[in-house]
Amino acid sequence: MDLKITEQADNLLKDNGVRTEEILDIIKNAESGGSKLVSKDGNTCIAKGASENLTIYAVYSATELLDVYTHKMNILGITGGEIKPVEYDDESDWVCAKCNEPALERNVDMAYLGVTRPGPGIVCPKCGEMYVSAGMAKSTLKTAEAILEEKRA
Amino acid sequence: MPAQDYVPIDQNWLENAGKLWTTPWVDKPSDRVIVDPIILSHAATLFKKNAGYFYSNPDEAVRMVCAACELYDVTPVGHYLFADYWGADYGAEMKIQANAPPGITKRPIKTPEDVDSFEVLSTEELVKGPTLTTHYKALDTVKNEYPQMFAPITQLGGTMEVATNWAAIEDVFMWMITEPELVDKLCIKAGDHMVNACKATADRYGANVMITGSVIASGDLMDREQIKRFSYNPVSRAVRKVLTAGAGPGVYYHLCGNHTDDFDMWRDAPMSPFTIVQIGYDGQDIFPTSKLVENFGDRCTCFGTVDTKLVDRGTPAQVYAQAKEQVLAGKDSPRGFILGTACECPTNAPPVNVHALVRAAKDFGKYEKF
Repeated sequence: MDLKITEQADNLLKDNGVRTEEILDIIKNAESGGSKLVSKDGNTCIAKGASENLTIYAVYSATELLDVYTHKMNILGITGGEIKPVEYDDESDWVCAKCNEPALERNVDMAYLGVTRPGPGIVCPKCGEMYVSAGMAKSTLKTAEAILEEKRA
Repeated sequence: MPAQDYVPIDQNWLENAGKLWTTPWVDKPSDRVIVDPIILSHAATLFKKNAGYFYSNPDEAVRMVCAACELYDVTPVGHYLFADYWGADYGAEMKIQANAPPGITKRPIKTPEDVDSFEVLSTEELVKGPTLTTHYKALDTVKNEYPQMFAPITQLGGTMEVATNWAAIEDVFMWMITEPELVDKLCIKAGDHMVNACKATADRYGANVMITGSVIASGDLMDREQIKRFSYNPVSRAVRKVLTAGAGPGVYYHLCGNHTDDFDMWRDAPMSPFTIVQIGYDGQDIFPTSKLVENFGDRCTCFGTVDTKLVDRGTPAQVYAQAKEQVLAGKDSPRGFILGTACECPTNAPPVNVHALVRAAKDFGKYEKF
């Protein structure tokens, strides 16, 4: 997969402290293993790579890297322990590519600096793979991480 | 009274209260459970003023609240809000009342056609409107004069609360039976309004806490299916949108009234890392903290409550006994615990009853887990 990395995308990589090779590896792994989210219109994918301290996401089309975002909070699992039916429309705009199942908007437990709390995630009901959307990671989780860093220091 | 007439907040107290307040959110060790009796116009009575004065003077109101926080040794946060937010922005007429929060006397939506043509105000329009102008006057005062007691909130209410500030409650309930799709429409618009309102506060102050949940939509007025359709679903959608828009991260689910039949639904409501759940009543009784912790303790911070009727009309001994029971059941909740009242501290509650609530937290809420 030969992806164009625009100047804007390059700046996003720098802002997030992610190397170009790293993000391309994440995309390559997602494409070969199928662990990724695909938008319902099929035009956009989200792939992720998680290390102990950072989860990195790539949002990309067939030709271009569209967005890069990260979070330090470590996703542990579904809040409450298992995926049970809920009483609201929880279908997200994404489909798990591996399972071909619509991914669900569910709370996931996240840990950072010894504190575990829930956060809004996107979860495949079949394989259980968990993601966080760009909006949540860039706003809610960034703020949460900053508060925890200040208060837990 | 102008700012210079108040005694500066004791910094030693503030430092300690700040530590207690941090514990439920980030598990930072402290001595005991923090108490938040949701002090609003009750603070005015400590200054021989009434609710009307409180709500007509938002800058003074928060000075009184901050002083009351120190006096009672409770959560060090300067709050200002009331239930009937957001009506006036859309043309409702408000009445300032001497002994109760401001109330809406005329609502902008009167017919089903009004619902169709009703347009939600943008974030920019809301900022210029009467609700946020007043709200921000209060918050700016806290920010400038009591910066360590500044924790901005956005009083959203739930979709049914916003809807019934736009249309008369009797009309909304009639439409729920005769034209439920109309109420769906109204609640979707209320949800969109909530997102815009929260964005306004986030744009002005950054991180903030949204107060949402279900007050009108409680078991005394609606059945489970109605609560799910007109409150839980649209509120959940709105909270997700607020969080995605970066207008959180605090989420405070205030489930006022009786929630015996629907409390369990809220276990799966969208949550951020700073989420708190408070449930008022289980039937006619105060919602047991043991039940709250059992259902929400592994998810978010739990807000255990003492009956506001008891705080208003009971004896100190009764308040102390109920607070003791609630605090013992909640203090070790895995994701944090706060002791408070089922709703806002009643305006004319005897101060000794608020003191009894705090005494119970001091006597029985000591932490051993840290």
